[in-house]
Amino acid sequence: MADRASATLDGSLEIGRRVADLEISRAWLVDPVAGREGPGEIVVHEGRLEAVTWLDDAEGAGVEPGGVIVVPGFIDLHAHLREPGFEEAESVATGLAAAAHGGFTTVCAMPNTQPAIDEASVLGRVLAAAEQSGSPVELLVYGALTVDRRGESLAALGELSDAGAIGFSDDGAPIRSAAILRSGLLYAGMLGRPVVDHAEDPGLTDGAEANEGLVATVLGLRGWPVAAESGPVGRGLAILADVLRDEPRAQLHFTHLSTAGALDLVRRAKAAGLPVTCDVTPHHLALTDTWIAGARGWAWEDDADPWLGVAQVAGPYETSLRVNPPLRDRVDAAACLAALLDGTADAVATDHAPHARIDKAVEFGLAANGISGIETAIGVLLAAVDAGRLPLRRAIAALTSGPAALLQAGGWPGTGGLVEGQSANLVVIDRSESWLVEPEALRSRGKNSPLLGRELPGRVLLTVANGRLAFEA
Amino acid sequence: MTAASVDRVATASAATALPVPSVDAPPATQPITWPHRHLLDLDAVSWPEIELVMRTSQAMKEVLARPIARVPALRGTAVTILFYEASTRTQVSFEVAAKNLSADVVNIAAASSSVSKGESLIDTIRTIEALGARMIVIRHPSSGAAHLAAEHFSGSILNGGDGWHAHPSQALLDLFTLRQHLPGSDLRGRKVVILGDVLHSRVARSNIWSLTAAGADLWLCAPATLLGGFERWAAVSPGVPGHGRFRVTSDVTAALRDADVVMALRLQRERMAAGLLPSLREYAARYCLTLERLALARPDALVMHPGPMNEGIEIAPEVADHPRSVITQQVTNGVAVRMALLYLLAGAGAAEETGG
Repeated sequence: MADRASATLDGSLEIGRRVADLEISRAWLVDPVAGREGPGEIVVHEGRLEAVTWLDDAEGAGVEPGGVIVVPGFIDLHAHLREPGFEEAESVATGLAAAAHGGFTTVCAMPNTQPAIDEASVLGRVLAAAEQSGSPVELLVYGALTVDRRGESLAALGELSDAGAIGFSDDGAPIRSAAILRSGLLYAGMLGRPVVDHAEDPGLTDGAEANEGLVATVLGLRGWPVAAESGPVGRGLAILADVLRDEPRAQLHFTHLSTAGALDLVRRAKAAGLPVTCDVTPHHLALTDTWIAGARGWAWEDDADPWLGVAQVAGPYETSLRVNPPLRDRVDAAACLAALLDGTADAVATDHAPHARIDKAVEFGLAANGISGIETAIGVLLAAVDAGRLPLRRAIAALTSGPAALLQAGGWPGTGGLVEGQSANLVVIDRSESWLVEPEALRSRGKNSPLLGRELPGRVLLTVANGRLAFEA
Repeated sequence: MTAASVDRVATASAATALPVPSVDAPPATQPITWPHRHLLDLDAVSWPEIELVMRTSQAMKEVLARPIARVPALRGTAVTILFYEASTRTQVSFEVAAKNLSADVVNIAAASSSVSKGESLIDTIRTIEALGARMIVIRHPSSGAAHLAAEHFSGSILNGGDGWHAHPSQALLDLFTLRQHLPGSDLRGRKVVILGDVLHSRVARSNIWSLTAAGADLWLCAPATLLGGFERWAAVSPGVPGHGRFRVTSDVTAALRDADVVMALRLQRERMAAGLLPSLREYAARYCLTLERLALARPDALVMHPGPMNEGIEIAPEVADHPRSVITQQVTNGVAVRMALLYLLAGAGAAEETGG
């Protein structure tokens, strides 16, 4: 049938093997780097993206963006692979397998392991684990900003940088001391690396369980105010502006911003020319705190509060919804989406935070924070696309060219586009299919997804990473 | 008949003239069965079901008046009372209630169980089930703990208080006690004031559901730091099906003026450490339910407190011991209401097991 995309894949179907010959014809290509989408064909030969051919209107007639799409491999700026130290939750190998299932070909791992990645030897262990896994998915690693992420003294930033650290973060915990943040920005700037801040004022979040608002009030959960995020973002921007006078290479990235207030501060700082970037997560733009009360509507369709006749289709206090920062209300979720649309948010990052069952099968207030999300990210974004809330090209850019631009600033050679002649990094997704999120479907050891039991649009058929087969449905 | 109750009769006809939320109380003869296997909160309990609890509680109260206050309703039924927080009155109240129904009662206090060895709540619930319990009354410091227990227990969970979230048996005994004192047991249009640490109070939260369902003119009064978030709840509350409007204020005078009922809440000292209040002295000076403040309320206003009291802080001793105080009756009624709840839940659980 001529209107259908067709693919031929020759050679071994073994994960990790070089893709000898792959031809995909009559698919919808999206290349955010070229700023282009439309009907086209691609050819991969011996692992290289040999040809990207755009079809003209006549040739491409009948090829729709709602069918098979071919897009650049996704880049996740923020994932927790838990190795070393928490292998019951995830390992580098399982994390990379999960990434490939989610369409990711590059993953940036956070250093909140045990021991923390605060010196080059630990970083080397993590990179060695990636090598041993046989996964073609590229693993990049952040170093801790401070020794053991305690926030007291700078980690071995120069050695970490030499060993390949792409940036520095104490993620999982905020950088409490303004003085440490200041010297970290200076020192990391000197090394040409960004500081990635998890913005949280711990004085406002002590014991906090859920976004401060109606849901937390009614459910009796300790409130987590939005100012706990916007406050430290304001502080960070002020320090960044200060530091730039001494070190013009200083860069600050705020990860997983979740509030309208914080995003607006970043928007204004960008307009003023500060070298600040940020990402938002799929869950903060698509889910709201009403899910904790048992609602299950997407943030953009959820037009009433629970207890006002909205179907509470699930039980309350589902611990897979406990996450830091917490799921916010509709206004903040809409702000995350708006920030993505206007470029305030440079990327969507998953904050993939797998946990062992034992850390989630407890009381809500005792549950570990985090959502296993690297495999559901594209599905959540496609749900927003299907709802008309997010253009397809912007959704793809947020996972490809957006994060690529941030990594390129540190010398990363990738593009985040469909560039002929380069090692093939691409994902083939059938948007006409959906898949059921269930524990067995997830490659991650962390089954802590609030989307379990839900159908997500867009099935990843094939992921090719660095010219090698990473995932095939 | 006391002067107070004469007064109460006199105001009854006035009350019917007040604008009242639409609560369509069914005639008492309408057959209602209790459909819930668990009692976790009152948000999902309908007004007719609450009235069934009230009628059943009345029957239990009559049982309690007998020389031998014991019926065989739960004979052979194992009830475990699992308390992760120290509590004298609620724990004993449930224990007495269960024993009056001839249940086999096991008490577990968290400190003396394997909980302190790191056993998870789910493991504990499964163990209790394996040991034969058909009902668990659980008290836990974490909001939502009763829901978690219910997910992992094939019998019935009765929430004896979870975190800041819910304390349904307390709200129901409060309602039962109020109805005893109101003509026609009718709360519609009656001004009920909950005064004190609303923010941290599961009693206040559960009472919001039941008292708005009953049609009371409910006011929550606390200093701003102990009232956070309730403004928003109050704003949406009129639209919640089966419930109704309530108000929040920090103005104790406006709250107490012409009140029919004042319920003071316990203030815990740790609130000072958390920086929520300047001092106990200042709290008492501004919010303690004193005789002077009680005089703002209607002359026949009832005084309640879920206990245990900090006399001189949230309630003056002479108010606690005032003739209009029904605090002791709350305790007595608590046994009858908890007997009713155990009885109804046992029936619903049995009906479910037989496919009913």
